Amino acid sequence: MASIDVTDASVTFTATQSKQVTLKEYLLKGLFRKSVNPQIAIHALSGINLTARDGDRVGIIGHNGAGKTTLLKLLAGIYTPTAGTSRVEGRVCSLFDISVGFENEATGWENIVYRSYLQGESPASLRDKMQEIAEFSELGEFLSIPVKNYSAGMRMRLAFAIATAAQPEVLLVDEVLAVGDMAFQIKAKARMRAMMSVSRLMVVVSHDLNTVRDTCTKVVWMRKGQVVQEGPPAEVVAAYNRDATERAAAARAQAQVGGQAAPVARVA
Amino acid sequence: MIQHASSMWKFRHFLLALVRLDLRQRYRKSVLGVGWSLLNPIAMTVVFTVVFSKVLGAGADPIAYAASVLTGMAVWSFLRDSTLQGCRCFQANEAYIRQSPIPYTVYTLRTAMGQAIHSSLALGVVVTMVAIYQGDPLVLLRLGLVAPGLVLLFLAAWAAATIAAFTTVFFHDTQHLLEVLAQIVFFMTPIMYPRGLLDDKQLGWLVDANPVYWVLELTRTPLLTGHLPAPTMYLAGAGVTVALVGLAAGVVAWLQKRVIFVL
Repeated sequence: MASIDVTDASVTFTATQSKQVTLKEYLLKGLFRKSVNPQIAIHALSGINLTARDGDRVGIIGHNGAGKTTLLKLLAGIYTPTAGTSRVEGRVCSLFDISVGFENEATGWENIVYRSYLQGESPASLRDKMQEIAEFSELGEFLSIPVKNYSAGMRMRLAFAIATAAQPEVLLVDEVLAVGDMAFQIKAKARMRAMMSVSRLMVVVSHDLNTVRDTCTKVVWMRKGQVVQEGPPAEVVAAYNRDATERAAAARAQAQVGGQAAPVARVA
Repeated sequence: MIQHASSMWKFRHFLLALVRLDLRQRYRKSVLGVGWSLLNPIAMTVVFTVVFSKVLGAGADPIAYAASVLTGMAVWSFLRDSTLQGCRCFQANEAYIRQSPIPYTVYTLRTAMGQAIHSSLALGVVVTMVAIYQGDPLVLLRLGLVAPGLVLLFLAAWAAATIAAFTTVFFHDTQHLLEVLAQIVFFMTPIMYPRGLLDDKQLGWLVDANPVYWVLELTRTPLLTGHLPAPTMYLAGAGVTVALVGLAAGVVAWLQKRVIFVL
């Protein structure tokens, strides 16, 4: 059985403003005067609770930087919670950052092998899938040349074909649908829908509110690393839309008060 | 710990595929290919024998000297290169690390295994040359005696690479510090000169205090003499390895959850 149980999970880390740390800075650590390069604590997630069982389709919405991707990476096991617990059971397949992580000098065929192994395939299980991945990617003879010669679109095609060849129990998706050209996008969307119907449990991060409302059984709205609202898709999406419109209106009003024609961000 | 090991085992195909790739990459577009791994020690032997027997006139047996130096160099450069390359290990594998929650020690193992294969070729050349020179094919059997030493050596190098990799993420100057340190240790270890040179100057303790010496001797002694080293030597070598592995395990347990935020 596939399940997700996140209890009071927080992810907090520190970052410095600049990557460069001088020797003086390193030794003194802001001892006598205020540090010019202070450590900033970033609360990427705080106090998240989320449970999902077989058959659930969870959508995560929110503005950029709300912690959606961090939550997904927490579920994938790439981040470990700094407080609380996160437990995911079932074979996980994550679709994010898929266009990176190629061995550039190796050919497309070889990269299919590496990434499939990384996803937990064995030589035996991969043998049957190789051809299918190659066909889906439509890269043909390009698969025999090193990946460094690929265009960004070709990389995406290959990455998508490999990542979606797995039959996951838990599917974690981070808006990967912008794949390749028009024809391939249609194909990719169809495959995503097929995967969603096959996988027992799915968590998807998206800005496409209509898709979220139509495909999910539960929606989580996040802001600044916290859950604002969680519940039935129609309800949460409507609340999120209302909030976004209000904020846009408030921003517009403020701009007018200021007497300046400030550009207004359009909110979907 | 056991969970860590079983999780690593699960990704063995991934690891081995990448090690194979690294090996191929090393000699990419090179006409001689792996031949360079073999040619390098052969050329070094010739140079050593000529220089030391004809020019410096030292030592009655230049081939024995060359074999000793080459064995020492092969073991030493394996340790040094694994550690130094280990420093950049997590940066080099960052894309995988950000994508998949597989144990980080897989990546340091990738580094150590790549270096190990390269160094084994050099060791093989040394043994073959000694066998040819002495006209005694039985010398090749000595390779069996080296096995326990090589296992300890490999574990030590993997542990060192792991420690270096984690340290570099949190303290970027590690690699430069290690480069300097490696120079010092190289001259303190009896590789280019016999141990007796320091013993004569009452500096034997310097060698005894050097962990690299103990790990090195477990490979060099059986390979050159055909006799197993004394049990105390094995004890010392195993002690060094266990200490390194323990330290590495501690570092992994302590830092593995934080690396992703700092990388």
